[in-house]
Amino acid sequence: MLPNLKVENLSCVRSEKAIFENLNFDVFPGQNIEIIGSNGSGKTTLLRAILGLIRPENGTIRWLDGDNNFNEYRTYDCFYQGHQLGIKNLLTVFENLNLTHNAKGLKKETIHKCLERVGLSNINDPASSLSVGQRKRISIARWLLKDFKIYFIDEPFSALDDEATDLIENLIIELNTQGCSFVITGHRPSQVEASRIEI
Amino acid sequence: MNSIFDWLTIILRRDLLIAFRRSATYITPLIFFLIVVTFFPLALGPQESLLSSLAPGVIWIATLLASLLAVESIFSEDFRDGTLDDFFISLEPSFVLVFAKVLIHWLITGLPIMAASIIAAVVLYLPFDSFLPILLSLILGTSFMSLLGALGAALSLGKSAILSAIIVLPFSIPTLLMGTSVITSSINNQDYFGFLMIMGAMLAIGIPLLCLLTVEALLLNYD
Amino acid sequence: MTSMWKVLKQWFIEMGSPPLFYNWSSKIIPWLGIATLVLLSIGIFWGLFVSPIDYKQGDVYRILYIHVPSAILGESIFIFMAICGFINVIWRAKISGMMLKAAAPIGMSFTLLVLVTGSVWGKPTWGTWWVWDARLTSTLILFFIYAALIGLHSTIEDKTKADRAVSILSIVGVAIIPVIKKSVDWWQTLHQPSTFTITSSPSMSPEMYLPLLVCLLGFYLFFAFSLTLNLRNEVLDRERSKNWVKQKFSS
Repeated sequence: MLPNLKVENLSCVRSEKAIFENLNFDVFPGQNIEIIGSNGSGKTTLLRAILGLIRPENGTIRWLDGDNNFNEYRTYDCFYQGHQLGIKNLLTVFENLNLTHNAKGLKKETIHKCLERVGLSNINDPASSLSVGQRKRISIARWLLKDFKIYFIDEPFSALDDEATDLIENLIIELNTQGCSFVITGHRPSQVEASRIEI
Repeated sequence: MNSIFDWLTIILRRDLLIAFRRSATYITPLIFFLIVVTFFPLALGPQESLLSSLAPGVIWIATLLASLLAVESIFSEDFRDGTLDDFFISLEPSFVLVFAKVLIHWLITGLPIMAASIIAAVVLYLPFDSFLPILLSLILGTSFMSLLGALGAALSLGKSAILSAIIVLPFSIPTLLMGTSVITSSINNQDYFGFLMIMGAMLAIGIPLLCLLTVEALLLNYD
Repeated sequence: MTSMWKVLKQWFIEMGSPPLFYNWSSKIIPWLGIATLVLLSIGIFWGLFVSPIDYKQGDVYRILYIHVPSAILGESIFIFMAICGFINVIWRAKISGMMLKAAAPIGMSFTLLVLVTGSVWGKPTWGTWWVWDARLTSTLILFFIYAALIGLHSTIEDKTKADRAVSILSIVGVAIIPVIKKSVDWWQTLHQPSTFTITSSPSMSPEMYLPLLVCLLGFYLFFAFSLTLNLRNEVLDRERSKNWVKQKFSS
């Protein structure tokens, strides 16, 4: 089985100093990668470099396309969630999901089902009045709108209570069985079954 | 092809909804414009002949300052809450998405200014015939200002608003000169179409060039 | 021919490496300095003392020998900066970003010199310290653009990022400067027509024209000289944590 993503010899530099060097890993369908490091060790930079937001100093990123060839450009959408969750404060919970590109063509019921799964079904308030945990749940609900081959989530488990942590872990397991992979970062190893990389 | 239009409509709906929920976004440029216009009679005296001769310049100075005021917010909020990342991660050309943000900025800033300019024209004793040229020059001018403002906002993301104004103001001088020439020519019953064509040409070249450069400038903030 | 092209390309790539550039520039600096000094002194002495008196303006016109080359330099440097900026944005060559940053203050100083000499020229000739004519006004706008570029660079901490930001702005600048000049022309014309352009023949006698050319060449050499000095400082500043810098200066 071919991996969906091959990362080879990746090095990133900031202000003339190397943040990480010579990282290698493959992301296979249904399998996860967990990147562990302290603050400032470059986890966010790594995700950004893979997705093309930053140009790395060295290394190649290759994606599998429809003909089973590896290319340096991506042919399908991935899901990315940074520290900042990507949630608009002035929109309600429903609008935060409905007014995204991934929700195009989805019926209202589908979106409400996604909200139900994360436990946010009956909240109609704008996102600014919600707690941090609830805002994180909105961002988790966005994972479910569409199937992505690879999910890149920066620190999914930070600032979460046990219930939400279980929710995410179960979701990851479920999505793994559907062939989706997760590349997540964190300070400490989590309970997710994944190959761990330390930087 | 379809997908990019979907993106554009979603961005438009989302940002316009947010802008309308925070009415300060579109009221402030309008009020600022009117305040600046009011300062001129206050500072220089209310004689009709003086004001009507200064009016084209006053309207345009107020337009430039008011559109630059709202520039800071084009990208800063999206950058802070992570929504901007989607633009560059998606497979769609990001400069089209940046153009959507510019369009939204123009709808929120340029359009209210255009409405307020008629009020300004009345209080500055401009003749009724000049209203159409004023509006035409302002459509072209404020759109170009939104483009320049987007670049300025992208370059000075996270820094003071004055910096983006300093960056953008010298480049807006041709717009100022052409725009005032349109209004002055119309008052003198001369042909102003040539100036409008030039402003249109600047816009035609500016839209692709400035949107592309704004994408580069935005990507700088991710390093 | 192809081998010369290869040599040139190789040299160009080598200059992108900071230590190689530093060593090469150490060698040419003395020659550049001497050439600059020689040409500038000849040109200025010739222009200020030897060339004939203009029958209309008397001795005052001699300020043209500084005013005109400064104006040409101010604009040439901006175009140079825009080319460096373009190379920096497209090919991410750090050295061209540094060249842009090093050239900006020089260009701004020349532009300021144009404004000051123009003002000094104007007082005895037209009676005022400042005239809002097309040339001076567009030079003033160019000065503001230089100020914006330098200001933008100073607000961004990461130097490479600052270089890229200024590169982007310089590209917009070079595109809009012709528009600014044409629109300011429309707006007013009082300044005398240019003494010479690349395409048309000069309207001055050769005795006045030649020292002007010598001065212009001297100014260009001065630009090359000060640019190289600035660039060396930039390179040292940015590479200060690297080994080759420490080796050079620790002994």
